[in-house]
Amino acid sequence: MMTAIEHLLDHLADAPAAERLACAISEIARQFPDRPALIAAAGTDARRVIDYHSLAAAVAKLEAELDQVRPEGIVTRATRAESLAVITAACGRQRVPLAFVADAARDLAGPLVGWLPIDDSLTLPADATAHGRHEFDSVSPPVIVATSGTSGPPKLVDHAWESVLAAARLSEKWHGLGWLLVYDPARWAGIQVWMQALLTGGWVVVPGSRDPDTVARAIVAEAVAVLPATPTLLRRLLTSADRSVLVRGKVDRITLGGEAADAQLLADVRSFYPEAKITQVYATTELGEVFRVTDGQAGFPAAWLTRALPGGVKLSTRRDGELIVQLSRDANPVATGDLVEKRGNRYEFVGRRSDVIVVGGAKVWPKRIEEVLRPLPGIADVRVYGMPSAITGELVAAEIVLVDPLPEGLSPESVRAAALAACRESLDATSVPRVVDIVKTIATTAAGKARRF
Amino acid sequence: MKPGSSSCEPMARDAVAAAIRHVLHDTGRPAGPVELPMLLGAELGLDSLDLAQTVVLLERSLGVDPFRAAAPAAGRPALRTVSDLVEIYAHALHSHPLEPPPSEP
Repeated sequence: MMTAIEHLLDHLADAPAAERLACAISEIARQFPDRPALIAAAGTDARRVIDYHSLAAAVAKLEAELDQVRPEGIVTRATRAESLAVITAACGRQRVPLAFVADAARDLAGPLVGWLPIDDSLTLPADATAHGRHEFDSVSPPVIVATSGTSGPPKLVDHAWESVLAAARLSEKWHGLGWLLVYDPARWAGIQVWMQALLTGGWVVVPGSRDPDTVARAIVAEAVAVLPATPTLLRRLLTSADRSVLVRGKVDRITLGGEAADAQLLADVRSFYPEAKITQVYATTELGEVFRVTDGQAGFPAAWLTRALPGGVKLSTRRDGELIVQLSRDANPVATGDLVEKRGNRYEFVGRRSDVIVVGGAKVWPKRIEEVLRPLPGIADVRVYGMPSAITGELVAAEIVLVDPLPEGLSPESVRAAALAACRESLDATSVPRVVDIVKTIATTAAGKARRF
Repeated sequence: MKPGSSSCEPMARDAVAAAIRHVLHDTGRPAGPVELPMLLGAELGLDSLDLAQTVVLLERSLGVDPFRAAAPAAGRPALRTVSDLVEIYAHALHSHPLEPPPSEP
């Protein structure tokens, strides 16, 4: 006799990729109608639960509309994860091409002209039928996702359903878990989180805001087991949230992506959640997931450069340290823009090529300077960036967030002086920040990474 | 000194001296008195990075950055002494007395 979950997994594995999300939602709604699919505004009084039954009903309603209109394609302008899940499931099962364009201001150009926009109201435009009646016999319609633009201006990347679902784990041990969603739900990283949660009968926990205390309350109250985040977001959570709340969380897995994590952050994570498995995912929007590091150390083993990884991925470096990825023997090598440096038996990430600060002709990478500043007493978080200068082109500037409250014996002035002294001691003269400001918070991008400019 | 900039000269002088002392202090060098005739390089030991930092500090204290202005560098007086720097700022203050500092990035 198969368990209900085994039955569900079997069923999903048989479904075509484009239908898998809709299948999972209907099947879980049938077996566990009251199970929460998504908890919105978690950690606040406005907390709202959407169960699988109502999610499945919304999918069915939108599918009926799509079936009537048969648009050429759908562009989601939705901002809420539950709306995006409904739109994605309905478009997939109805074989309607779908584009995630998180930036509402972006004009629809090129292939997206003529596609119908849909927002959180989950209804097609009133004049939709005028644009409709496109039939698709394609088994796998395209899914287009706009990149976050960390490595250049945002662009639209064409995917197939198979690649959107490639990273999803469907086995039983992933079933029925709480997933924290701190990413933008309309961008690649965020899509991966809610997709994985809903495919496996889990619940998506969306905190009311990125405020660390709100996120910490959401983790504890909604039984978050899996915590996907960028190092920047996780660092802010661990350094700024109420510790007595945070330690009550039962986090089993922490998945870090989007940026490189340094040794300090990994040590901090272990001090809060010693049992949690830490996975660092190296992926780009263009290449998808390239590799995962699960040993909890910064960077990746140096030996990986000398042999092919599972799946046939080959890594190499250019003379300037840029990491080159060749996904398979036949694929073209791709320059990633990420710079690595050999330290002992590891390669560690030192920053992105585009992060470079040019000071009077000398190149300086901010991540190295941040690593010197971050462990100092009284410092909760830092950001190093290039400030334009008419005299030297750029100047190294640092923003420091102080620990609140500051430990006995420290003052903002003493922390600032110690920061400069530490930099003078371990960095060359051009790398020492010339502008050091004490700030309340560090600006992040929509994708949850530290802003570099 | 250009006519009209003299009224801003004391303000510029105090700000320039304070900024230079700040830079020397930040970089771990002794910060003695800063006098108008002193040579920025040979006597005070300021290099281009130090000067760039001084310009940022002065932009914050005075609200002007004469080095960012569109005026070609050739049109500016030579920059050798503290006095040269004071004059550039006094002139800039006179031309743009109330320009607020630009917002932070």
